Amino acid sequence: MDIAPYALQLFSGLSRAMVLFLLSAGLSLIFGVMNILNFAHATLWLLSGYVTFSIFTFLGQQFGASPWMLVPAIAGAVAVMALVGFALERFLIRHTYDRELPEQLLLTFALVLILGDVIKLIWGLENRRINLGVRPIEMLDTLVNPYQFVIIGTGVAVAVGLWLFLHRTRLGKIVRAAVYSRSMVSALGIPIPKIYALVFALGVGLAALAGGVFLPLLPMALGVDLDIIVQCFAVVVIGGFGSMLGTFVASIIVGVVYSFSILFWPDGALAMIFLIVIAVLIVRPWGLFGTELRY
Amino acid sequence: MSAHDKKWEALTDHLKLSRRDFVFSGMAAGALTLTPRFVRAQAGMPYKIGVLLPSTGTGANYMAHAIKGLPVAIAELNKRGGLLGKHQVEMVYRDTETKPDVGAREAKSLILNDKVDAIFGTYSSAVALAVQEIVHEHKVLHFAATSNSSKITQDNFTPYTYQFCPDSNMQSGAVVVAVSRMAKKNNWKTYVSLGQDYEWGRDTHKGFTTGLAKVAPNIKEARQMWFKLGETDFTSYITAIMAAKPDFMFGAVAGKDAETFMQQAGQMGLFKRVPFPGGLIAVNDLKAQRKTLPRGIIGLARCPFFAHLKEPIMQAYIKRDRTAFGPDGYPDDWACMYYDALGGLEQGAKKAGSTSTEAIVKALKGASVETCRGKRSFRDCSNQLDVPSYVGEVWDSPDYPFPIYKPDTMILVEGHEVWTQSCEDVDKLKKKRA
Repeated sequence: MDIAPYALQLFSGLSRAMVLFLLSAGLSLIFGVMNILNFAHATLWLLSGYVTFSIFTFLGQQFGASPWMLVPAIAGAVAVMALVGFALERFLIRHTYDRELPEQLLLTFALVLILGDVIKLIWGLENRRINLGVRPIEMLDTLVNPYQFVIIGTGVAVAVGLWLFLHRTRLGKIVRAAVYSRSMVSALGIPIPKIYALVFALGVGLAALAGGVFLPLLPMALGVDLDIIVQCFAVVVIGGFGSMLGTFVASIIVGVVYSFSILFWPDGALAMIFLIVIAVLIVRPWGLFGTELRY
Repeated sequence: MSAHDKKWEALTDHLKLSRRDFVFSGMAAGALTLTPRFVRAQAGMPYKIGVLLPSTGTGANYMAHAIKGLPVAIAELNKRGGLLGKHQVEMVYRDTETKPDVGAREAKSLILNDKVDAIFGTYSSAVALAVQEIVHEHKVLHFAATSNSSKITQDNFTPYTYQFCPDSNMQSGAVVVAVSRMAKKNNWKTYVSLGQDYEWGRDTHKGFTTGLAKVAPNIKEARQMWFKLGETDFTSYITAIMAAKPDFMFGAVAGKDAETFMQQAGQMGLFKRVPFPGGLIAVNDLKAQRKTLPRGIIGLARCPFFAHLKEPIMQAYIKRDRTAFGPDGYPDDWACMYYDALGGLEQGAKKAGSTSTEAIVKALKGASVETCRGKRSFRDCSNQLDVPSYVGEVWDSPDYPFPIYKPDTMILVEGHEVWTQSCEDVDKLKKKRA
């Protein structure tokens, strides 16, 4: 039996999984800690892609075009977007903490429309892309895009980095504690508003990282955000809101199941994902690695 | 300059309007909402066109040039006096977001609130089919120039819709002609299909498989794969196509999805292993993907300017758009077809001697119109313009800053050569309308 096609499908599934993980990690973190369902998360990701494009173009003009300019461009975009996230939390999001979920959703959906118009005004209607001049390499008697290794590597590195941050730093431990019980954290004299602002900035920063990393694969275009956000919600529901491990495992489940469904049952690929979502919602509504208790 | 002035400048620069024009247009639009449509049409009053195209969603990248090009073309028409030399043309733009419900809602709003006389659009066939119900109910002219499911002019026929681009059957027929020649030469036996899972994708695929089965019954479809509109990651589809090891692949992929697919497939080396003849590669794709598009790939186009450089209308059109949008501002297929639609309206009104909808509908039925693609005639039974499809090899031309189709490889397939339905068949397909 030739296992090469299955190995390649697994490889492409993992690549898809890491794309979803990078995007969903911030969404899960923000909901887990702040109880805010940020519908605008993917739109902030899209905006980050445009910001990365602009910085990359600027650096290319100043210092000469090079694929390596993508690294400082992503770093710059992460910094800019983290500040945007911090400002959004301070001026907008914090006013909705005591509101009902539909009101929060309305506010973040309004952000989707506003940010879409901001993109239209600054970058226009044309799609933005960058070309790193990547050439395919041969693997298992077929060709693959070597940039997929960068995507998988970045996803794993971010997962490890987030684990270290959440388990080995004081701030990370406070964030984890806030996922379980915000009132207890507050009772200990820890300023919750500051934690919220930092978490929102971190979540948006993660989205910015995802936006920059995807740019060589996916042209940035208006509407892409709404195309991808539904799958991110699926990942977060399966993994459990607030659980980074859950988000990571769920991303792999979604990516790999989708990939193999395309090989065996392409018409039902998306349905397979949402069957898993339904099963999780019925059997374990708080997700595979989420927590049932919230105070 | 204040922040307000800067915002204003950015907006007017985007819309190509002066502040005075904007104020006058606004006042005129306000006044027009108070005036019944039939009265305006009689007395040299402005003629209003509602443009329904997406600036968000999967077709946005295809429609960008048409959206910014139509106001320039309308300004040029107004310089000549407008329709019949006395009806200035005004344009009201609405974003359909490539969604049928939004398209239908905006069509209704354009007709009832803005009192438009004609609707131009849409990008998506699914949206066009929804809009047709509205234009038929309100008896408003509808000029389609991108959405090209054959259902628009056949099953869902309304006398108010005129089609300026080759329909899905005509396009599939052109690909069948090209593929059957290549299959014979290369001894191809199997293929894999990849398509957008909606009206146009399914219709195009059906046209291709049916047509190919007739001319080359020995070629078999190994498998078909459908993806939802707005797919962002084609990696798994590409590895699955390579795993099937077909002799070639057929694609019914357009818009933003086509751009994403081509980029990812190119990076994964798909086209080195699996030929992809007849994928939609319009002028905007040639421009946007000038660095990454694999050379030698066989593309399909609907109105590439470089195929009609000898046509005086095309020459003037290219010159005007390059003046307006810079040296790289060559019109793409979509803008070209909407330009032809505007020309069709002008010629229809002239032939009718009136701007009334019924008179123009009557005048255009089976009529010939001058277009960027030469003199073309509407099919009497369906209002489908007899226009060609173009298949050719992507090639670096010394004359342009982006690739075009290599002239000696280009096959131009006329619409009437691949019409699969006779007029009797079309009449049978038409649904009964109240």
